[in-house]
Parts: sequence; C-alpha cells; structure tokens
Amino acid sequence: MGLFLYHDGQETTYEQLINDINKQTLLKRYVKKSDPYEILKDIVVSLVAEERIILLDSDFTEEEVKNLGLSVEELNEEVVLKKDKISSCDELLAKIQKSDNRWEIVLYTSGTTGRPKRVAHKLDSITRGTKVSEKYRENVWAFAYNPTHFAGLQVFFQAFYNQNPMIYIFDVNRKEVENVLRRYNVTHISATPTFYRSILPYIREVVPSVERATMGGEKYDKNLEAQLLKVFPNADVRNVYASTEAGSIFSAKGDIFSISPRIADKVRFAEDGELLIHKSLLGESDTFQLDEDWYRTGDIVEMIDESHFKFVSRKTEMINIGGYKVNPHEVEDEIKKIDGVVDVIVKARSNRITGNILVAEVKINDGIDKREKEKEITKILEKRLQSWKIPRIFTFVDNIELTRTGKKVRK
Amino acid sequence: MDVEEKVKQIINIILEKHGMSPLNSLEYNISMRNDLGMDSLDLAELTVRIEDEFGVDIFEDGMVDTVQQILDKINKR
Repeated sequence: MGLFLYHDGQETTYEQLINDINKQTLLKRYVKKSDPYEILKDIVVSLVAEERIILLDSDFTEEEVKNLGLSVEELNEEVVLKKDKISSCDELLAKIQKSDNRWEIVLYTSGTTGRPKRVAHKLDSITRGTKVSEKYRENVWAFAYNPTHFAGLQVFFQAFYNQNPMIYIFDVNRKEVENVLRRYNVTHISATPTFYRSILPYIREVVPSVERATMGGEKYDKNLEAQLLKVFPNADVRNVYASTEAGSIFSAKGDIFSISPRIADKVRFAEDGELLIHKSLLGESDTFQLDEDWYRTGDIVEMIDESHFKFVSRKTEMINIGGYKVNPHEVEDEIKKIDGVVDVIVKARSNRITGNILVAEVKINDGIDKREKEKEITKILEKRLQSWKIPRIFTFVDNIELTRTGKKVRK
Repeated sequence: MDVEEKVKQIINIILEKHGMSPLNSLEYNISMRNDLGMDSLDLAELTVRIEDEFGVDIFEDGMVDTVQQILDKINKR
C-alpha cells in the first residue's frame, strides 16, 4: 500500500493509517487539532464507525468557540467506537462507500448574520464532485487547504477514494514547497489564488509533473493564471466556484463558468442577477435562509448564454480575505466590547496579495492615546479572533459615517 | 521624512505585531518573506500602507520581496 500523507518531513502510508484506525477505540466528536494527519485519520475513523464528527479550526480562540454556542461537555464528548477490523485499503473504501452510511460531518462557516453557522454534510453531498476511476489512480495531490474547511475535504475525498498520496503544503515553509512538489511528482494542486501567490516567488524552475492546477475561493486572477503556466507548463489551469454550503459546483477555464447539464435544473438566476442554488445541492443547516426551495448565494452573475455565466460582484457584506470569508459584524462586535471604544466600522481594503484585508475606523473616548489603543485592540483581538479576522490598519475618527437611514456606510 | 525612513517605519509596525525587534537601519537586500518572516497577510498590510503613503501599488506588476525592490517601485512613481 502506498503513501497516504506527507507532512513536515513525515510520511504515513495507507497501511499505517489502517493500523492506526484499527487501534483507535475512542473518538473525540469535536476535532480541534492542528496536525493534518490526526484530523484526516479522525475523519476516516468516524466514517468507518459511522459516527457524526464536527471539525473546528485549530486556531479558533476560546471566545470564538464560545460564540458557536457549544458547551464544555459537548466539546469534550468522547465516543466509544464500534467497528470491525479492517485489513486492506479496498476493504476500507468499500465499507465507507456502502449506501446507507449514517455518517455526518459538521463544519462551521462564517455566517451572514454575525455568528459562524453550522453546516452538516452527508457523505453523498460532500463527495458529489469526487471522481473515482483507474484514470485517477496515479494522481498525486498537493494538499493546500485547511483540512477543516470544505475545500480541504473535497481534496481529501478525491485523493482518498482513489488511494492517492497527499502532499501537505498548506502551512509549511514556502521555501520547501518546490522541493516536495518535485520529489513526489505532484500531479494535482488545488488552492486559493492567495496561496499560489505565496508560493510562486519560491518556485525557481518549472515543475513539469503538475497536470492540473485549480484555483478557487476567491476572485479569478488572469495574471496569476499566466504565472502558474510558467512554472507548471504542462498544467491545465482551472477556476472553480465552491462554497461551504454546496461544495464545488461550477468549473471554468478563464472566468466563464459553465453549468453542467447534470445540475442545470438546480441553478437559477434571480432578476437582479443573483445566483440561486436549489436546496438539493446543499448540506443541511438550520441557518440557511431559503427562498422557497432556493438558496441565495449572494453572488451577482452575468449570463453569457443559457449554460454559461461570469461573476460580477458580491451582494452580501462578507469580505473575502485570501479565500476566508469574514463577516465584518462579527469583528465589529468584538471591537465594541473593548473599553473606551465608542463605535467602529470594519471595511475591506483591496490589495493584490490576499484580495482584501480588513481595516477599521474606530471612534474612541476623548483623551485616549491612539497609538496605544491600537496596540491594545490588536492584542485583545488576537485572543478572541482568528488572525485573518483582525483588522490590520486602524484609523481613529471623530464620527463613523452613516447614511440617512442610519445604516453605516461600508464602502 | 524621507522615503527610506518611512518604509522602515511601515515595516517596523508589522514586525512589532509579531513581537519582533524593529529594524534600526534599512538594508537593501533584506527579504520580507525570508528574513522578516512576513506571511501573506503581512505583505498585504505592507502593500496597503505603502499605497496610502506613496500612492504606489508595489505588487501591481509582479512580486517584490526585498527592500531594494520596494524602494525601486516607490521611486519609479
């Protein structure tokens, strides 16, 4: 049996994975770990035992976990596993893929109303886009997403179902990326534009083994596509549209997405151009706001013809920071709790590295030292929010600009 | 204040957030990523602060990484 995962100098084979699964007798239902092997192994264990599993980002602060509304008892819940011993990879996959798997995976994603929302997926919704055949058997995947996020899970299932090796390059030293891509002859990479931009300066020579480079989660960047083709000359570069609610649904060459006939009746466009997706394509969540049976994506698109469209803009206030969507209200709520802060508005500032960063305009009580306050706010937020949710630049203002309806202006 | 002093100040604001000691002098061959350990968010902040100060988008046509490359972009404006 071949390699399952390479991470930080460590190789783990599918055989070791199976041994570890066979040995494991307890599972913490809430997974909040940083080691990618541990996370992926727990997912496989939960699949084998048909137990529900909940993934939390390892860098969630205590405050963020508290805001999810979870109790300490829930977070520490341990399940005694009932499962049969597994002897081969084929047996493992056959067991997992059998039709009535009761398994469910829960993810938390930035909600549009302030608090992260909970989205549950069954095996069939999370593997809808997974392709399995002999053709994919020799693929080698670079793993370039957070494994607790939907995009990471999609890469995982694609690789796992075809028994492909995964080479973890998500949060490793950028200087080593070129080496590992070359050493393992990586054939497939899927990542955000921000991730590609962060590794490109370190790729000195072409990596001919890459056959497919997919980017998604952020605005399409034509210039980046050209740069990718320079270092991956044999790659087919694709752009995908994916969301935590529905997973990867559309794929594009360039910026024109096509709607496959398979889902044509599950996609609609509202009068203002908003993309609507039928609920049958979604995971389950109490917090989805459905319009009859349709989910409003918040993405405004432009139709090219019946089966092709382009993205134009976002309707919601969510801000995309390098592929992570942040709700500015969540950040504002945390800043407002800080002593001396009267009011705040959090906005996006665009840039060519991460698409956007957060900046905040803050009104504070008179007589407070602004530079000191900025440091203090940043320090407090570091304990309460994941790093990409923390505004990078603070401006202190006398008044927060309001519109006539009294709503803050978030330009 | 001259350009170099201002660029040093901007870099130091970011270093301070990571608890790193500030640069006393600006050496031209210092790499933002390799020597100062800046990640994508740090570089994004750097480029926005430089744009606010000098009106130049230093990443407009490709990647820059060293102090010299940043100064070149600013001085070309």
